[in-house]
Amino acid sequence: MSNANWILFLSTLSTGLILGSIFSLVAAGVTIVYGSIWMPNAANGQFFLLAALFGWTLTVSWGIHPAIAAILVIGVSVPLSYLLEVLLIKRFYDVPNRNISYFVLSLGITQILAGVFSLTYGQWSDQFQLPPLITGITFIGPFPIANNRLAVLALAIAILAGLFLLLRFHRYGRALRAVFQNRDAAALRGVNVKASYSMSFALGNAVIFAGGILFALAYSFDLTVAWTMAITAFAIMIIGGPGSVLGAVVIGMVFGFTQAIVSVVASPTIAAFSYLGAMLVILLFKPSGLFAK
Amino acid sequence: MDSYWKTLAVTATASATLLAAANISAAQDKPPVKIGFVTELTGPWSFFGTSCVAGLKFGEEQINSPGKRKIEFVITDNQTSPAQSVAASRSLDVQDKVLALSGPTSSDTGLAVYGYAEQNKVPFVVPVAAFPQLTKPGSRYTFRLEPNAAGWGYAIAKFVEKQKPGGKIAMIYSDYALMRAITAGLKYQAPLSKLQIVADIAFPQGSNDATVQAAQVLAAQPDYVVVIGAGGFDNTITNQLLDIGIKPQQLIHPFGITTQVMNWGKRSVGSYYGTFFDSNLDSLTPEGKTFVKDFIAKYGRPPSYGENFCFVTAHVIREALDKNPEAADDREKFRDAMSKLKTKETTSDIPIEFDKNGARKEYIYFMQMTDVEAKSYKAKQAFYAEWDPEVIPVYTLVK
Repeated sequence: MSNANWILFLSTLSTGLILGSIFSLVAAGVTIVYGSIWMPNAANGQFFLLAALFGWTLTVSWGIHPAIAAILVIGVSVPLSYLLEVLLIKRFYDVPNRNISYFVLSLGITQILAGVFSLTYGQWSDQFQLPPLITGITFIGPFPIANNRLAVLALAIAILAGLFLLLRFHRYGRALRAVFQNRDAAALRGVNVKASYSMSFALGNAVIFAGGILFALAYSFDLTVAWTMAITAFAIMIIGGPGSVLGAVVIGMVFGFTQAIVSVVASPTIAAFSYLGAMLVILLFKPSGLFAK
Repeated sequence: MDSYWKTLAVTATASATLLAAANISAAQDKPPVKIGFVTELTGPWSFFGTSCVAGLKFGEEQINSPGKRKIEFVITDNQTSPAQSVAASRSLDVQDKVLALSGPTSSDTGLAVYGYAEQNKVPFVVPVAAFPQLTKPGSRYTFRLEPNAAGWGYAIAKFVEKQKPGGKIAMIYSDYALMRAITAGLKYQAPLSKLQIVADIAFPQGSNDATVQAAQVLAAQPDYVVVIGAGGFDNTITNQLLDIGIKPQQLIHPFGITTQVMNWGKRSVGSYYGTFFDSNLDSLTPEGKTFVKDFIAKYGRPPSYGENFCFVTAHVIREALDKNPEAADDREKFRDAMSKLKTKETTSDIPIEFDKNGARKEYIYFMQMTDVEAKSYKAKQAFYAEWDPEVIPVYTLVK
């Protein structure tokens, strides 16, 4: 294979992995919240953007190192989530068909956050960029890749692995999964369902915030990224099966690679629509999603 | 005899003073001339709208000197929405009874106001919007300060032709109307300038990553890469091209505003960007230097061409009214005053005059970045071009 083809192949691979792992994180966060409290969180894109903008403030305005900023951003999502839960989310726990109420509520949150960002960050700049975690370039064969992107990829995979281990082996994770599958049976087995709601809301948002700050470390962004990410995360959740974290992770990676590969063999424009087209086709054959139980 | 002349001189001076005072008083007694300024204060384009208003405010302070009839800009938010732009224009026209409209910094909202203005015969002074159709043949009430985007593409070809005769160009851009217009101009002029387009890569809105396309650009071995991403993606493309081995000296950005240039950062030093005003221009007038200094003092960064066009808009309207005071209360007369106006940019002495469609005699600077700091940057002038708005068939190239 010629050097040019190697570069093309490795760039496709790196793009697929980085985009895929970030998509997976955000979609996993959305599906955790939906799977436990039945909240289709339309505000996930704004939460993602909030994390990115908060990271920008910490690093660019306050001069904090990006690694510390990333930890702070993910950390701050927990008290924010609890506050939001106490003020708004909790009130709907006993409402029948609350997913509709939650959807409308999250649309309201979306509008409020979009307005706040537009009146603040939107008037300070039209684009935002964080300093890199690590500088320099590494050559993989003939392909040069920024060390910063490698670091983001490693962190994204580590967080996904941590999430998998938590849900699979930790007793809180097992309790969460039990609630995902059958909350009445889980309650009979002694699981505190309401407590698991709180935890899943915080955990889901922490994962979305992690996706947001990692995205901001890998790419420049502007305020429109919230809408793109919200649609992508919903599409991944629907194809993977609402409530299925494994589905979110697998389909997130598939989306990342689809975008990278189709953009080479066809065009970036076709790539942007290809996975949405795939979503419609899959839903024709399996409306409940590929990994739904 | 001496006393006769002294008395006459004193009487003449007193009369002149009284007359001037009466004129000042008459001008000041009249109600202010209202200009409706419909711009993007919220929504995705809010940065450009609020920056424009910042530039306008500096201009508004200067043009309302004592003795002149006050010009008042009625600033209204269009929420970056064409529909809201039309609604705001109608309200300013019917309720506020403004003399003219101005303000949009986006081609989408600009086109919406254009439609209203032309249909309802309201003069429309466009500060910053580059889509060619804003001054399409038959336009009568619209006057645009910013050169049209297809012309920028023409100018890029001229720049590369001078830098590297027979050069190869790669284009990598977001698929927005503005970028399509720029690349249409470049694609039209490139063969005429004996240049070759070796890559033409468009990204849809909402794209995030350009690593693979950067590799494709590298494989095409261009002499220059024209980069036109939208918003944050512009910086992502730039970084990924540099990551993969494209040299900064190969990069040409058709336009560069202050925040963009500072975000490109030190690693982009050596790259080129187009502009219509820059704090580093050789030709800044004393007023231009004061504008830059005052803007930095207030906003902590140098102004870009957008802020400058909005600053200049205030001066252009003032000058048209000073030369034609009767136009202050008559839209048709104001349209005629704008149409025959021949002036210069307050800040850089570039000529301003409009053709029969309201398009301005066009120009662009290409600057080369020489240094970037946290809140400032340095650049040197590398190329300057002026051209007739229809040097290429802009209105058929971009519909």
